[in-house]
Amino acid sequence: MREQVVCKKSDIEPGEMKKSTFGKQDVLICRTPDGEFYAFMNQCIHQGAPLDRGMICGATTEESEPGGYEYCHKGEIIRCPWHGREFDIKNEGRMLANPDKKIPSFKVRVEDEDVIVYK
Amino acid sequence: MTKNKISLVDTDIHERVQYRDIVDRLDEPFRHYIENCHWIQEKHMPYTQPSVAGVDRADAILPDGRPAGSDLGFMQEQLLDEIGHEFGILTSALDPSPSSMHGWHEMAAALATAYNDWQIENWLDKDERLYGSVHIAAQDRDEAVKEIERVGSHPKMVQVLLPIDDIMWGEPYYHPIFEAAEKHNLMIGMHHNEPPVYYGKWPRYFIEWHTLIPTAHMKQITSMMFNGVFEKFPNLGLMMIEGGFTFIPHLMWKMDQQFRDLRHEVPWLKRKPSQIMKEQVRFTTQPAEELTKKEFMSLLEQMGTDEMLCFSTDYPHWDYDSPHRALPNMDPELKRKIFSENAKNFYPKLPNPEEG
Ligand code: FES
Repeated sequence: MREQVVCKKSDIEPGEMKKSTFGKQDVLICRTPDGEFYAFMNQCIHQGAPLDRGMICGATTEESEPGGYEYCHKGEIIRCPWHGREFDIKNEGRMLANPDKKIPSFKVRVEDEDVIVYK
Repeated sequence: MTKNKISLVDTDIHERVQYRDIVDRLDEPFRHYIENCHWIQEKHMPYTQPSVAGVDRADAILPDGRPAGSDLGFMQEQLLDEIGHEFGILTSALDPSPSSMHGWHEMAAALATAYNDWQIENWLDKDERLYGSVHIAAQDRDEAVKEIERVGSHPKMVQVLLPIDDIMWGEPYYHPIFEAAEKHNLMIGMHHNEPPVYYGKWPRYFIEWHTLIPTAHMKQITSMMFNGVFEKFPNLGLMMIEGGFTFIPHLMWKMDQQFRDLRHEVPWLKRKPSQIMKEQVRFTTQPAEELTKKEFMSLLEQMGTDEMLCFSTDYPHWDYDSPHRALPNMDPELKRKIFSENAKNFYPKLPNPEEG
């Protein structure tokens, strides 16, 4: 499978995510608040949880000083439904606590109304 | 997402009751307090909750909105059938936790009885893979013993569940509970409750609390050990649930070294503490730290036995451990022990064909 329409643009509002399939692979299509689309493997790299059952949210950032919370990246973070690990959609799906690890991603392009995942 | 099935005895599964499920089983006046006076057990956890859906796996919440762990059919589908469990041991949610209640022992005892009957009828009798834990209100020791006498002989009750909270269970006052458990071939399962660490209070952050849970487990083993519970009740076993296992070598070394110096104070101990632990104490694996195979094998070597660990998932909680992913790869014989045989050898009431 080289490319495939995984959903319509209007299926996912900005700041939301949805699962789909690319060939035999379960994929997670995310749409960040700026309207961009991203696609990842729909399986957490930690213990394999289905990421679409988690949430898309923001994150407290490392700019936070002890005792205070800086919260941003709203709509740009995938949080796993099990152990809550956070993955940055706009930074190649890297884990916030350990950026050496990332969720495998797929290329995405939008043609008219179609969201297309391709290799 | 069906993977290779493994033979598994899961030593920590949380089924969940809602008060409305058991209220019919309560006599007056207890029923009235719940139905009309909004009684709920006091709860303490002050945190905004750790993960996506509080303390539960977000994908374990029922499609109709009921809380995770409250429906057998859903649990069968998501856990027991999916993984292919051979047996699972129910350890309940924290509410109600009769032995954790402060005051009003009568209510605690009534809840324990209602809970046990509900558990038997709705879980143990309905799925042959599931085994259960006897709930008691241990503060009222004599009532607790009566409850063990009442349901302890049920063929699918395998342990008496005690919370790790603000009671040190080695206290002689509680020994009749251990005596009753031993009489019915029940082990003691011990699971932390709220708040088990930080001098009886809550630390500022959930991550502190959760990190320190093993310290609460260590306190209870130490209390049971030096108060002579294991010598007094040689057929009793203790399953430490959900404290992890990387602290085991430390505790064994520490207790043995102390024993060599201070045996004089506890002359009733006839065996080395580490020996007693190897013979009578077991540990569920979750939440497993991420160890490399080398680290894991070296830890087993430090324990001096591979028979103390029993795999657990902690389903449906947020820190669930996947049987396929939580522990490093190991050879099939060791895997069989940790995922199934150790638990079968520990619980006398679990079917164990290999024992003959
Ligand atoms: S499985 Fe995703 S954080 Fe553990």
